[in-house]
Amino acid sequence: MGFSWVKALVVGLVAGFVAGLLGIGGGVIVVPGLVLLVGMTQYAAAATSVATIVLSAAAAVVAFGVNGNVDWAVALVVFVGSSTGAWFGARYQDRIPEWLLAGAFSIIMVISAIRMWL
Amino acid sequence: MIVEIIAFILLGLFAGFLAATLGIGGGIIFVPAFVSLFAFSQLDAQGTSLAIIVPTAVIATIGHARAGRVVWKVAAVTGLAGVGGAVLGSLLAFELDETVLRRIFAVVLVILAIRMFIRAVRLRQAESATDGS
Repeated sequence: MGFSWVKALVVGLVAGFVAGLLGIGGGVIVVPGLVLLVGMTQYAAAATSVATIVLSAAAAVVAFGVNGNVDWAVALVVFVGSSTGAWFGARYQDRIPEWLLAGAFSIIMVISAIRMWL
Repeated sequence: MIVEIIAFILLGLFAGFLAATLGIGGGIIFVPAFVSLFAFSQLDAQGTSLAIIVPTAVIATIGHARAGRVVWKVAAVTGLAGVGGAVLGSLLAFELDETVLRRIFAVVLVILAIRMFIRAVRLRQAESATDGS
């Protein structure tokens, strides 16, 4: 796949900048960036976005862990569910029509915008 | 106790599924749920959310990679630029007026959401056109 290094770089910079500045997740910016700017499908954008989240969330969690702001017991219990949900989601993503993924994502973006505004 | 455990697992199932299918971390679900339903402080909610997101995103990435959906070159460039951008953003966080910035980005996000929604409608129309319905 041909892609623009510059566009991919810009998407990362903007997403990281907003995340670092305002403390929101990067995915809500990375996915629309990869779809609307880089021109990826909703499927590939989601898959590529979660790969970038591994990096960004791992970098961010360290400070919270050091400061004692992680409830590890709760994290473990929730992870039992989230790992299962994530596995199913990745396994069967291609069964979901692309319009539904795009529509659901636009709702997530509006919720995120409302939380950011308040 | 047992009710809480079940609630936490269900919360994880829901957020993990959305995270993998849509490409988000899941903090948008975890943080408000921890604060409003389980009375976490904002910092504890964010820290615990991130601790869940890291391994969950690893599992989602493995699943997507096995299906050949991850574009690794883009993931590397966007991911590394993201870490750089985050450092820059956190350094400037104390310098800039946060309320104004929050509202600017909220508006930008709504504009992008409208474009994404239009895309969803067009994809739906294209799909029903090929279905012949």
